[in-house]
Amino acid sequence: MRWLLLLAVTACSGSHQASPRDRAVDDFGDTVPVGLAARRIASLNPTTTELLFAMGDGGRLVGRTHWDNYPPEAAAVPDLGNGLRPNIEAVLAAHPDLVLLYASADNRSTALKLHELGVATLSVKVDHITDFAREARLLGRVLGDSAAAATVVDSVQRTLDRVRAATAPLPHPTVFWVVWESPLMAVGGGSFLDELITIAGGTNIYGSLSAPSPVVSREDVLSRHPDVIFASPAAAKEWTGRVLVPDTALIGHPSVRLGEAAVSLANLLHPGVLR
Amino acid sequence: MRGLWTTSVIVLLGLFVVALAVGPVAIPMHDLWSSEIVRAVRLPRAVLALLVGAALGMSGGALQGVLRNGLAEPYLLGVSGGAAVGAVVAAMLGLAGPATTPLAALIGAVAAVVLVLIVARVGGGRGADPRVLIMAGVVVGAFANAAIMVALASAPADTVRGAVWWMMGSVADANWPGIAWLASYVAVGGALLLLWAPEIDALALGDEAAAAIGVDVDRASRRIFLAAATVAAATVAAAGLVGFVGLVVPHIARSGGARASRAILGASALVGAALVLAADIAARTVRAPADLPLGAITALVGVPFFLSRLRRTGASP
Repeated sequence: MRWLLLLAVTACSGSHQASPRDRAVDDFGDTVPVGLAARRIASLNPTTTELLFAMGDGGRLVGRTHWDNYPPEAAAVPDLGNGLRPNIEAVLAAHPDLVLLYASADNRSTALKLHELGVATLSVKVDHITDFAREARLLGRVLGDSAAAATVVDSVQRTLDRVRAATAPLPHPTVFWVVWESPLMAVGGGSFLDELITIAGGTNIYGSLSAPSPVVSREDVLSRHPDVIFASPAAAKEWTGRVLVPDTALIGHPSVRLGEAAVSLANLLHPGVLR
Repeated sequence: MRGLWTTSVIVLLGLFVVALAVGPVAIPMHDLWSSEIVRAVRLPRAVLALLVGAALGMSGGALQGVLRNGLAEPYLLGVSGGAAVGAVVAAMLGLAGPATTPLAALIGAVAAVVLVLIVARVGGGRGADPRVLIMAGVVVGAFANAAIMVALASAPADTVRGAVWWMMGSVADANWPGIAWLASYVAVGGALLLLWAPEIDALALGDEAAAAIGVDVDRASRRIFLAAATVAAATVAAAGLVGFVGLVVPHIARSGGARASRAILGASALVGAALVLAADIAARTVRAPADLPLGAITALVGVPFFLSRLRRTGASP
């Protein structure tokens, strides 16, 4: 109700109806008022939680998901459980005036229920590096803090550009990245990790598959003769050849540490290329 | 029998108050009716749980009677498999949503039930041989499960997640339009089953005995089967797969003294409503803020109760 009221006030205060400058459209197609002075934000998406802290707005957080573990200050924010199909009462108990959701079909009914109860939502689907920049700017606009969002995006972008420039002249080894051992799943072309491999100076052997984490056969992997295998410490023992272990803390989701993740991967593939 | 009715009604009312009063947000009892959280979140959830339980209880009661088999339940007869195929197909086509998934599930369930009826007719050579119906239901259900597994093996993660969530059953997404829609199915289907209850009693005597007292055996069993399956399919559409209720509740009703089908149907509605409501209270409070799968909780709550009754009274189909 409150954001509807805000919309109404915004519409009435001008001489004309709310223009597109006064509102933003999120990834569910919901209209969100911009410049929302949200003081109590529940971020049910690790990406937006990281982003808010990076923008200096971590103090506005009144809730996060069970899985939000970065930055360390996030641990002090109340844990509201799952980010997919969250317990709506637990969310309401935090009395948020804005709820940030991951825009997948699982969360559509949550968004609708929150609107019914007068709580604004901003639902974003950040699955790729380009999504991150777009969604960070959207969040900045909605919170009336576009400058902070732009600073974060620029910083990430600059680091990514630096890594790309440093690795571009080097030979790009072929990479097989093990996502899961049983069934065997690889990083596919639909994942932001595929983009990171390219930026870090590698070529994903499954980059042509559109799924983010396709199931593949061991035989097919071996037939592609990857130069490098990325695997978790547990899975690394199962493979021979040049097996490397990426820092999993950095590559959990596409957010403010995308730049750091690219640096770390580039140094794995091309030791010493970046400092 | 009178004891069963009184106990069921008192337990149901008590559970209803608990369902409205308990949750992560502390709301004083005197503010329950004015609280927006109760009105918008807890009340629709409790009402949906009641309706789902009542519908599954009645559906199970009718099917066990007409098929003369204490193991009969709506999910055994292809309803769940068909509904799940409908929901998964909707998700694969990118059509999943609060309005479209239930509709797809209903279409899938009704299609499976019609298929079961056709197969039973071909296989049995007559309208509704209970054994052939059950066999056809199990086989159609197995086929549906296989189809779902093949479809999900290569589906995107959020499709798989949505389908699995839905197959575990939940009333967390309860909303008034959905409830009104389910209520209309339950009201019409339930009324028809109550109206046809004397035919279920006659069929329970056996085909020849029923025919001897003027019941058109094929027609009666087919229409009762269809009504019971449609009511169950509507619950699946509204709340996913909430297993076990249709199987266990009619036995509890009978062990409480209900003998005639009309009494079994009425008592099954009350006991089913209480069971699903209790299960949902447990589902959302035991490990809050996580919501546990309702379908698993109904079994966890229902099985010990069922076994204790079984030990004391023995089960009769």
